[in-house]
Amino acid sequence: MLKKRLIPCLFLKNGLLVRSEKFTYHQVLGDPIHQVERINAWCADELIYVDISDDEYYDLRRDDLKVKCMKNIYSIISHVSKECFIPLTFGGNIRTVEDITQRLKYGADKILINTITHENPMFITESARIFGSQCIVVGIDIKINENEKYEVYSHHGKTATGKDPVEWAKEVEKLGAGEIFLNSIDLDGTARGYDINLIKSVAENVNIPVIACGGVGNFEHFVDGINKGNASAVAAGNIFNYTENSVIKAKRVMQKNGISIRSIIKIDDYSDDDSTKT
Amino acid sequence: MDIQRPPPMKYCTKCVYPASSAVPLVFDENGVCSGCRVHDQNKKIDWKKRAEMLKNLVEQYRSKNKSNYDCIIPVSGGKDSYFQTWYVTNVLGLKPLLVTYDGNNYLDVGIRNRNRMREVFNVDHLVFGPNVELLKKLNKKCFKVMGDMNWHAHCGIYSYPVQIAVKLKIPLIIWGEHGYVDLGGMYSMNDMVEMTKKFRDEHACRGYDWQDMIDKDLGITEQDLLWTKYPTDEELEENEIRGIFIGFYTYWDANAHGKKMVEEYGFEISPEPFDRTYRRMSNLDDMHENGIHDYLKYIKFGYGRCSDHVCKDIRGGYLTRKEGIELVKKYDHVKPRDLQRWLKYVNMTEEEFDRIADTFRDPRVWWKNERGDWVKDNLWDDEQKSTNCTLKKDDS
Repeated sequence: MLKKRLIPCLFLKNGLLVRSEKFTYHQVLGDPIHQVERINAWCADELIYVDISDDEYYDLRRDDLKVKCMKNIYSIISHVSKECFIPLTFGGNIRTVEDITQRLKYGADKILINTITHENPMFITESARIFGSQCIVVGIDIKINENEKYEVYSHHGKTATGKDPVEWAKEVEKLGAGEIFLNSIDLDGTARGYDINLIKSVAENVNIPVIACGGVGNFEHFVDGINKGNASAVAAGNIFNYTENSVIKAKRVMQKNGISIRSIIKIDDYSDDDSTKT
Repeated sequence: MDIQRPPPMKYCTKCVYPASSAVPLVFDENGVCSGCRVHDQNKKIDWKKRAEMLKNLVEQYRSKNKSNYDCIIPVSGGKDSYFQTWYVTNVLGLKPLLVTYDGNNYLDVGIRNRNRMREVFNVDHLVFGPNVELLKKLNKKCFKVMGDMNWHAHCGIYSYPVQIAVKLKIPLIIWGEHGYVDLGGMYSMNDMVEMTKKFRDEHACRGYDWQDMIDKDLGITEQDLLWTKYPTDEELEENEIRGIFIGFYTYWDANAHGKKMVEEYGFEISPEPFDRTYRRMSNLDDMHENGIHDYLKYIKFGYGRCSDHVCKDIRGGYLTRKEGIELVKKYDHVKPRDLQRWLKYVNMTEEEFDRIADTFRDPRVWWKNERGDWVKDNLWDDEQKSTNCTLKKDDS
């Protein structure tokens, strides 16, 4: 039986991790590495790390910290993957097969693609053929449009595509996507909870796993995402930054509500000294 | 000179923060910084509801059979400590244990204030200080490594009270305001952020931990640094340790709080003016905090404590932006007199200090002019720009 998954997301903008609100306002939370260490220590099931920078400019803005400035995305991925022993999905600004190869080379386990899938849907098929479906997560960002209808947006939520979420989800599954990362632009950073109807309608119309994101304001919302939304995995960005041991506490709430989720397994550094003791 | 001019510095259009602020800012489409935007949220918050939330929250932590303290309050003995302790004892009716990290640099007035708390609030108070020889070594080492001699203080303040919470099994720690939210708007006021190891590691301690301080040449051992160790995640979980910030539950007006504490509880402001800021009620727990420690912030990022105070006071409606800029002009660049004490304390010459300090000048801020002097952009360089952005004094 497949366990459900809890997945923190980190959003990187121009070299710093940010808090996100409606895909437009981004307060700076800190350097690209520290929160990765924490999420890893809390044994989340996976980590989704998305570069939402509009240009390829990365700066830590100061040079007196222990973490040093990393000027390009590969340096950042490489440092992130050194701290991250849980499966790492990396997304953002991916346009070519070579971009995927490079990200995997520096330590990503899976790749999240979005905008390119609208410009060239066959990119999903091609990348899945080369790297395997299990490696290709397709991001679908949804906004309620002027006609009060759900619509898929690309380019970090800025460009309307005219596509219906359920139809597009079925399409990306057919094209070879391994998973769908479904995010709500309207609910991003609002703490009002998931858009359950949206998640449910997508999850019930595809056979690949749907990762729900957008709007989590308390840990009970994760329970709704699974029980009411039928998501395979529940994700969130901001909330994991607010409190100590947040992933552990969230998992406890999910377990208490009867959700089958992997228990916390503490990751220890293996050293030869330890092995001789036991 | 081959040190090139960086792009022109961007400043908040409402307060005086530069984009080089040590507390990371973002600017919105009107050029207003995240610190100002988050401060504006205060007006919309239902503070009665927040006070109710806090009352309900602390009820779960009240010592069941009165066998232990109800909470820990980390205090320096400053005006904020007074306010926290007043709120916790008088408004919430809790029995706190006060915990202080003493980094051996208190001003006399700061010590008097700290000791008075036991009297005026009727509270128990634990004061801890590391050995002075070690502190001297850490001052010097950290100045060289990260351009900040006060790492020991940041680390002690954010680690020692949490250690005590674990040791004495007192789960609730009540901190004051969240500095990074208050100054820079790191989070929304609605996020109800709590203390995390991440905050202590990355922001308070600049990413450096006790392992980085062990030094064979200087004779710093792990055993010297026991007080710097933050409890493990397991210890925090087992004891259900939780650190809340009272600033998310009650409106934080440092000027009003300070005034109340002076009038009602005998809090003393500094009898002497500071070299680097106009405020006399802040940072009395460390003679270098407003002095040479802060001068290094100016060396690094091109602004200092006076800018911090001006930003707070503009947002709180106590200063106009124009008045604020005049203060910044007067104070931010001043090399303070406490440098001489610090040099003697750690046995360093002023030349060595200046040479090392210069290595920390941020190239995003500083460049050298044709005469070889360090120069940077200033808010008043373009008077036109700054007068256009002058904010009206808030009457509320």
